[in-house]
Amino acid sequence: MTAFIVRRLLLSIPTLLGVLVVAFLLLYVAPGDPVQAMVGERADEQTIARLRQELRLDDPLPVQFGHYLAGIAKGDLGRSYITNRPIRKDILERFPKTLQLAGAAMLLATICGVTLGVLSGRKPGSTIDRFGLGLAYLGISFPVYWVGLLLILLFAVTLHWLPPSGFGGARYLVLPAIALGMRSIAFLARMTRSAMLDSLGADYVRTARAKGLGERLVVGRHALRNALIPIITVLGLDFGAYLTGSILTETIFSWPGLGRYVVNAIARRDLPAIQGSVLFLSAVFVLVNLITDVAYAKADPRVTYA
Amino acid sequence: MRRFYPLIVPLVVAACGGGGSSTNRRTLVDSRDNYDPRSLDPALSTDVPTGRAVGYLFDGLTRFTPDAGVVPGLATSWEVSPDGITYTFHLRRGVTFTDGTPFVARQVATSWQRVLDPKVRGGRGWPLYPILGAKEFADGKATTIPGLATPNDSTVVVTLKEPFAIFPKLLAMPVASIAPEKVPASFGERPVGTGPWKLVEWKHDDYLLFVPNKGYWGGAPKADSLKARIISEPSTAVAEFQSGNVDVLQVPQGEIRDWEEDTERRKLLASTPALELVYVAINTTRGPLADVRVRQAINHSLDRRTIVRNLIAGRGELAAGVIPSQLPGSDKTRIGYQFDTLRAKQLLREAGYPNGIDVELWTSTTPIFVRIAETLQGYLALSGIRAKIVQRESAAAREAARKGQTDLFVKDWYADYPDAENFLYPLLHSANKGVGGNVSFFQNARFDSLVTASRREQDEAKRIALYTEADELAFREAPMVFLYFYNELYAIQPWVKGFVPPVIFNGQPWTAVSIAREAPSKQ
Repeated sequence: MTAFIVRRLLLSIPTLLGVLVVAFLLLYVAPGDPVQAMVGERADEQTIARLRQELRLDDPLPVQFGHYLAGIAKGDLGRSYITNRPIRKDILERFPKTLQLAGAAMLLATICGVTLGVLSGRKPGSTIDRFGLGLAYLGISFPVYWVGLLLILLFAVTLHWLPPSGFGGARYLVLPAIALGMRSIAFLARMTRSAMLDSLGADYVRTARAKGLGERLVVGRHALRNALIPIITVLGLDFGAYLTGSILTETIFSWPGLGRYVVNAIARRDLPAIQGSVLFLSAVFVLVNLITDVAYAKADPRVTYA
Repeated sequence: MRRFYPLIVPLVVAACGGGGSSTNRRTLVDSRDNYDPRSLDPALSTDVPTGRAVGYLFDGLTRFTPDAGVVPGLATSWEVSPDGITYTFHLRRGVTFTDGTPFVARQVATSWQRVLDPKVRGGRGWPLYPILGAKEFADGKATTIPGLATPNDSTVVVTLKEPFAIFPKLLAMPVASIAPEKVPASFGERPVGTGPWKLVEWKHDDYLLFVPNKGYWGGAPKADSLKARIISEPSTAVAEFQSGNVDVLQVPQGEIRDWEEDTERRKLLASTPALELVYVAINTTRGPLADVRVRQAINHSLDRRTIVRNLIAGRGELAAGVIPSQLPGSDKTRIGYQFDTLRAKQLLREAGYPNGIDVELWTSTTPIFVRIAETLQGYLALSGIRAKIVQRESAAAREAARKGQTDLFVKDWYADYPDAENFLYPLLHSANKGVGGNVSFFQNARFDSLVTASRREQDEAKRIALYTEADELAFREAPMVFLYFYNELYAIQPWVKGFVPPVIFNGQPWTAVSIAREAPSKQ
């Protein structure tokens, strides 16, 4: 297992390097000059030329990329063109908040989604199954910003139960976590349901029942355990996506996480901030995928990574 | 000045409840910032949230009032030499920075040097370029600024390159604020100023918290503290306002009518002119648009009255020229281009385009500009002008316009300081083509000489007459579609006392604002 992890980590280096090259090229091809974004509505050509020189934007592309790589090799993501702050510090300040939101959303999704899936899978066609199906349709088809605004209107503006937006204690976490987790609840519920249906019809479940095992143990230990692989896959993929892509949720709920940071950086063409974030988020994504693979082996003894 | 990325078209928020009419909060909460300030270093003050916060923490030699006046700040008075070249500023005595350092003339010189220093990477030197040698210093061609002298601790003598009568107004801009002489690397995060407020903490993308500077020379702010929340999504700001968590809201343009038609919410509204011109730059160098008759035809094609009524619920004043009616120089008797499709067609025929013309109509993704572009497209078609809408993200659209790649470009312009010059010179003087602000690429010798003369003119009445003449000329030459001046709409909680909506974006320092202690009875 250790060898597997080490191999995977080493393999991730070329992946990240590839991500860097693509991100770098895309940014330089895309229209929009960081210096023009920096100076605002009124400027003059000389100032722009001076600033381009200061920021080394006129160097040939390979030179710029080499310069950037050299910084990364030293663990330095550089400084923001716009704010002058170190990007590492900016990311480390915001990532825990994104992690908190993604974690809460996943926790919610796991508890609600798996429970709903197991209940639906046990009695297909029942009221709870139909309820689960309806909820899944809603969760998958409603856009997150729409759900987010409705949640704010209902629970904050009308009922005054929770704050509409902002960062703070658990009360601030509830609405954005629901908005972000909705889609996963829906996916997980459907995924769990079909996996449960498969495994509940399997021979080992019949055997378990035949030997007189209680229904709770049959479902919990035998059926669910065997249904875990697809569930873990969905969890891993969604968690990775949440860590990197909760841009809309963070924007609607004024959550000071990495998603808003990236949006802001893109709007201002803050190249080092965009590249730093992309690199960091790619690393996180690779790591989450690795953890997912390790979890497969834990969940299913048949999976081995020799 | 520009606000950016309202990501989502504001959802119409149903009229419901609201937070009652009292609050237990002691902190004033503002909701107007929609992205994190760039820095709190005045030298980096190039965007709206930064400029606003810098205005709380620092002072300039002059300052803005909420109604767009310019009054003495750290300078108590100044004299101008008869030739209009030399300004002698007498500084306020006994002022200290919040760390206890006394304010002296030397800091004026070092602060302005930092703004101009290319190493600081501020990017906004132009308000100080009128100073002799400032531009050369900024371009790295000189190591000193000969136009800046500090003969003693309470006097600053500024020599200008050429007479520029409104120079003291530019000194109220956030970028010209005075910082201490020695500035640590972390200054942008932990600023020290002489302003009415002190920074307590800055949670990026979340909020900035200020407390009163008890020793403020202009009288300490009345409230316990001030929190500037950073809320990116306009609908969220509305929800926070309705929940009673924020005190002041800029009503999103798409929701104006809902607020006005709600009998309860209507009571909270306050409107103010914003010195914001919404217009369509016509690139006067591209094809048929070089012909003034074509440009006039475009202006005649639109029913601006209907546009203002339907798109911004009538919250705008029709423009007939570039000078807002609140500023001297605006000619209130001038009648704007009338909606007259026949006249437009006739003008096009006279210009040699009996079959109409094809143009690209550029817009950013800002919702109001997109709606304007779509409306314009319909009106232009009536006169035979076939407009193809090109929509790009803000930075990309602006850059294309600056490079002269757009035919028509829907945009706005906010005053940086309250003077007609701030509209005439950057938007239409040939010295400012492209990045300077003149994306019409308008070049007219007569207009240039009128504006240049007005900048030099020391006599106020004569200067204003020159403004009016230049504005009249620009109006006839039609280098833009003159749409409207927007009247900003604010909602203010009933418990907030003393908040006057500012005409210029950072003209409200919140010093006279307080939260009513005695809770008014609920209705």
